[in-house]
Parts: sequence; C-alpha cells; structure tokens
Amino acid sequence: MSLNELAFKLNAHLTAEDTRFDAVLAESGVLEVICSNNEEFPINIVKTDTQLLAITPLFDVNEVKPDKVNELNEELLFISPAIPLSAIGRQGDSYILFGAMALDTLFENIVHELEVQAENTVDVLQVIEPLLL
Amino acid sequence: MGILKNILTAVRGGASEVGESIVDANAVRILGQEIRDAQDAIGKAKQSLTGLKASEIKLKREINSLESDIASYESKAVQALEAGNEALAVEVAERIAEIENEAGEKSAEHSALSAQVNKINSMIRQREKVIQKNGRELEKIKTVEQLQKATSSMSTNFAATNASEHRVSKALERVKKKQANWEDRMEAGEWMEGEASGDDLDRKLKDAGIGANTSSGASSVLERLKKKSGQ
Repeated sequence: MSLNELAFKLNAHLTAEDTRFDAVLAESGVLEVICSNNEEFPINIVKTDTQLLAITPLFDVNEVKPDKVNELNEELLFISPAIPLSAIGRQGDSYILFGAMALDTLFENIVHELEVQAENTVDVLQVIEPLLL
Repeated sequence: MGILKNILTAVRGGASEVGESIVDANAVRILGQEIRDAQDAIGKAKQSLTGLKASEIKLKREINSLESDIASYESKAVQALEAGNEALAVEVAERIAEIENEAGEKSAEHSALSAQVNKINSMIRQREKVIQKNGRELEKIKTVEQLQKATSSMSTNFAATNASEHRVSKALERVKKKQANWEDRMEAGEWMEGEASGDDLDRKLKDAGIGANTSSGASSVLERLKKKSGQ
C-alpha cells in the first residue's frame, strides 16, 4: 500500500474507540497524520524498502531544562520498554517516539499502532514534563 | 562494514539536516556496487552452472550405458568360456577392458564436473549472502534518512510554534482539555440515552396499564358527571 493509499484509507476510517485521522501526504513524501485522540502531536509516516516508520516528534533537546538532560535520558531509557508498540529515540536534536511496521502490515494493525502511539505520546510526555522547560 | 557505527558518528556529529549525508557517500556507492557485482556474478554463475550440470547429466548417462555394456559383455564372456571357446572369451575380455577404461575416464571427468558444480553453487550462495548483508546495511542508511526526513518536517513545526516557553506543557494541557470535553460529551450522550430509554420504559408501563393515570380524558370525566347526576 502506498502512503497515498494509506492516507486515503485513514481519512475515511473511524476506529472502535471513535478515533479519526486527518492524514496529508506532504510534498517531502512524509505522510502527516493527526489522530483525534491527540491532535497536538502529529505522527509522521515514512516508508523504506522494508518498513513503515511512524514517528512522533516529541521535543527538541533545547526544550529540556539544561541541568536535566542526563536525568531525562535515563528516565526515557527506563520508560521505553514499558510502552506498548512504541520506542523512544533521538534523531539529531529531536526526541522522537516511533514504531516500525513491516510493509505488508494490515491496515487494521496500522490503525491500531497509530492510535496507541498517539496515546503513548501523551503518557510519556506527562511523565517527563517536569524535566522540560 | 560497520555501517551502524558510521551512521551514529555522522548523526552525533550533527548531520541531522535533510539532504546532509548520513554516511560517506562513497560507502553507499560501494555497498550498491557490491550488490550489483554480486548480482552480475550470480547471473553468470547460473548460466555456466546450467551448461556444467547438462554435461554432468550427459556423462552420468554415458557411464551408466558403459556399465551396462560391461555387464552384458561379462555375461557373454562367461557363456563363451562355458562353450569352451576361449579365443572368443579373450576377445570379449579385451573389449570389456576397453570399455572399463573409457568408463573410468568418464567417471573421473564426471567427478571433476560434480566438484565444479558444487563449487559454483557455494559461490552463488556466498554472493547471495553478500547481497542480503549489503541490502540490510543499505536499509539502515535508508531508515535513518527517512527518520531525518520525518523529524525535520516536525522540527520546522517546532520552530514555527515554539515562540513561547512550555510548548509541551501547553500542548499537553490542550490535549487533556480536549479529552475532558470528549469525556463530558460521552457522559452527556450516556445521560441522553438513559433518558430516552426511561421514556421508553414509561410508555411500556402505560401500555401495560401500570402506573399510568387511566382516569384522565373526556370519557372518564363524562362517566364521573353521569354518576353525579344519577345520585
């Protein structure tokens, strides 16, 4: 399924938990998805030869209290294994929450992953909020 | 090649902008070239393998035929001996020796061909491993490139919306507010549903003549008035 097709299907879908998606394929080739259960932190979907990567940018390192960066990193290492279906990482200066799926993942499973990722984002940020500016 | 190590070094070194190379472009080119070379080599090896395998099968068939000739001549030589014709038996024995020599040569050739076929097969397997390994390495590079792409579009968003401090806290606040609104609406929806089903229950009770005021209406008033005037 191409990202364009995925966008089309997502926009027409309503989950069992009443989550809607607003998916737009940007010129850069990134599929930007806003889940109605967390509209503040969009999920960016990209594709490689073997995977579908769903990435939620969380914050930049300059948004972390300067003396709390190490504490934050350690906290995230502990949190990461506890989050279902998602992992936390850093890309350049940005902290990200991400999930990887095989290219032949069923649409229903992609939807589930996105819904959970949107929830995970809020959960993680609530935990580390005190360490942010 | 430890691509992952290169990627990490490059990313930590600040190669985080889109278009900026994650790893040395040469390394990527070399990986790609190795994959193409391995594919070419496999293509050629498969072609020559077909020819070799055909020769191997042909030789095997010839050897089988020679062996059956030997068996046939052996039985004939025995028959000649049994008939007391030693001269004929010697002639047959000479023929058997010739055929055995030929079969021996062909067997040696067959063994050499088999060894070559095995060697080419294992070469193909090795090249296929190179393709798979390099493919995985390239996939790592592509993954990080895609990650950069996905993250950089958001970084631009951060820059646009990051005018104020506490961006994350404020965003979280808005998410919570929306969730609370949604929960309120859900609760309201449930209340409405409850009301609707309550009405429904009242109607059912009335239909069943339970709890409803049955004395209302013009007919019941007239009845009452008739009773009054009859007194």
